[in-house]
Amino acid sequence: MKKLVIASVSAALLIFSGCSKEPKVIDPSENGDSMVEEVESVTTEIINGDNTMTSNSPISISVAEGKFNSVYFAFDKFTINSDMKDNVSNSATVANGVASAYNIKLEGNCDEWGSDEYNFALGLKRANAVKKSLISEGVDSSRISMVSFGESNPTCNDKTKECWSKNRRVDFKLLP
Amino acid sequence: MKILFSLIMSISLLFGVDATIDVIKKVDTLPSIAIEDSSTSYTNRFKLKFFKVLVADLNVISLFNVDQNYRTTEYDNGDVVFENKDMKYVLRYQLIESDSGAFNLEYKLIKNNEIILAKHYKIKNSSYNVFISHAVAYDINKFMGASSVEWMKKKVIFSRVVAPKKSEIVISDYTLSYQKVIVKGGFNLFPKWATKKQNSFYYTSLDRDKPSLFYVDIKKGTNSLLLESDGMMICSDVSKDSKKLLLTMAPKGQPDIYLYNVDTKRYKKVTSYRGIDVAGKFMNNNEIIFVSNRLGYPNIFSKRLDTNEVEQMVYYGKSNSACSVNGDYIVYKARETSNLFSKNTFNLHLISRKTDFIRRLTATGINEFPKFSRDGDAILFIKNYKSQSSIGIIRLNHNKNYLFPLKYGKVQSMDW
Repeated sequence: MKKLVIASVSAALLIFSGCSKEPKVIDPSENGDSMVEEVESVTTEIINGDNTMTSNSPISISVAEGKFNSVYFAFDKFTINSDMKDNVSNSATVANGVASAYNIKLEGNCDEWGSDEYNFALGLKRANAVKKSLISEGVDSSRISMVSFGESNPTCNDKTKECWSKNRRVDFKLLP
Repeated sequence: MKILFSLIMSISLLFGVDATIDVIKKVDTLPSIAIEDSSTSYTNRFKLKFFKVLVADLNVISLFNVDQNYRTTEYDNGDVVFENKDMKYVLRYQLIESDSGAFNLEYKLIKNNEIILAKHYKIKNSSYNVFISHAVAYDINKFMGASSVEWMKKKVIFSRVVAPKKSEIVISDYTLSYQKVIVKGGFNLFPKWATKKQNSFYYTSLDRDKPSLFYVDIKKGTNSLLLESDGMMICSDVSKDSKKLLLTMAPKGQPDIYLYNVDTKRYKKVTSYRGIDVAGKFMNNNEIIFVSNRLGYPNIFSKRLDTNEVEQMVYYGKSNSACSVNGDYIVYKARETSNLFSKNTFNLHLISRKTDFIRRLTATGINEFPKFSRDGDAILFIKNYKSQSSIGIIRLNHNKNYLFPLKYGKVQSMDW
C-alpha cells in the first residue's frame, strides 16, 4: 500500500507560544481513507495455436491500454482537430472491443504554460471533448471517468514546440 | 542555505494612496544598518547561515540599506565595530545554545551608541531558527513605525512536483530557508491553509479513482477525506472566518465554482457556464472574483453570490488566468506574448477597482499564483525562469521584488 506520510509540524506552529512537540507521523489509511494501491503491470504471455485469445476475449489491462491512441490538441484549445478524429474513432473501437470489460479513465494533460487551475480545467475540457466523441461513437458514458493532471504529467521535457505539442494530450487508462 | 536576492525593479519608494501608481525616489535616502554577530554557540557555518537570513529579512522590510559584511564583536562591547561607526543603526545579536539544546537569541538595536531596542527569544528546537530571524525583523519594522509585516511570520505551504504524477506538500517560511515535507508520496496538489492560525490545511489528491479533497489537522496529525468529484476537485479559497470554501469541481465534466459550508458540509453551485469557470476568490462576504473563458480567452470576472450577474474586472491582457484580491485591489496573471520562446511570457499586474491605472509588477519569466498577504502589504507569487522555480515577494508600497529559489523540483501551487 502506498502511504502518505503526514509529518506534523505542530512544533513549528507553536514557536511563538513557547510550546513544542516532536513531529508526529501518521498513516492516513488508519483513518479509513483508502488510497489506490499501486501494482505492477500484469505480465502477458503470447501463446500460439489453439490457445490464442480471440478478439472478444478479455485481455490484460496493459495490453488493451496499448491499443488506444492518445488525442493531441492545439495550444490553448480543447476542440478535437480533424486530424485527430481517426485516433478517437480507433479508440472507440478498442473501447467497445478488446477493452470492453474495463472502465476507461481519460487523463487530460497540458503543456508547461502555467500550473494554475485554468490549466487543469483546460486539461479536463480536453478529456471531456474526447468523452463526448467516444459517446457519440457508441461507448457507454457510465464506463468513462475523467481527471486532469494539468502540466504535471509531461511525456516530454524539452523546451521545444514539438515537445510541448506532445504534452497537450488526452491519454486512455483502463480500470478493472 | 543559499539565499539569492534579486532586485528586479529599480529601487524606489512609492508615495500616494493608490498602489497602482509608481512614484520614484532614490534609495540613498534609506538609513544604513550593519549587523554584528556576538554568538558564542554553534558552528561558523550555522552562524553565517543565520546571518544571511537576517540580512535577507532586513532587506525585505525595505527600511534600510543593509550592510552585507559579516562582522563579529563581544556582545557587551560598548562600541560598535570600527567599520560600522558611520552606520546609522547597528543590530548586534548573539545566539546561545542552552544545555537543553534550546535555541536562544538576544539582540539589541543601537543608534548613536545608545540601545534603542532589545529583546530575547528562546525556542526548544533550533531547526526553527529562521522564524526567530523573521521575528527580529518584524520587531524592528514595528519599532520603526512602518506598516505591518505580520506576513513575515506566516508559513507558506506549497506543492512541489518532483516527477510526473509525483509531488510533495511542503511547509516553509517565506524565504524557503526552513522547509518541512508534510505530505510525501503520491500526487497531491493545491494545498490551502484552512485557518488563519495555519494549523490545518486542505489539499487535492489525484491518487484515488476521483480527484479528492482532503483535510489535514496538523496538531492532531489526522488526514480526512472531505469530498470527491470526477474531473476536478480543488479548494480555491477559504473565507476569512474559515467557515466557507470556494471549490472548483466538475462532477459532470464541466468545471464550475461551488460554495461549500464547512459546518453543514453542504455545497451549492455558484457559476454555470458551458466553458471554464475556475479559481474563485472571496472578495467579500457576498462577492467573488474568478477566472472564466466566457469571452473566448481566460479573464477575470466578479459575481455576487446572490445573483447571476457577472461583471468583467480586467480589460488588459490576452490571457489572464490567475488572480488574488484584497479590498479594491486585484493582482492578476496576464500572458504577454504567444511566443513560446519569449523571456517574458506571463507577468503580474495590479489594478484598483476605483481607478483605471494598471501597474505591472514583474518583468521576466513566467510569474503566476499571485496571493495577497492578509493585510495587503505584500504579494507572494511563483516565478519560473530558465528552469528555476522560485517564490517571490512583492512589497507593493516599497516597489521591491525579492526571489527565493527552490533547490529542486517545480513549485506547482502555494498558499500563505
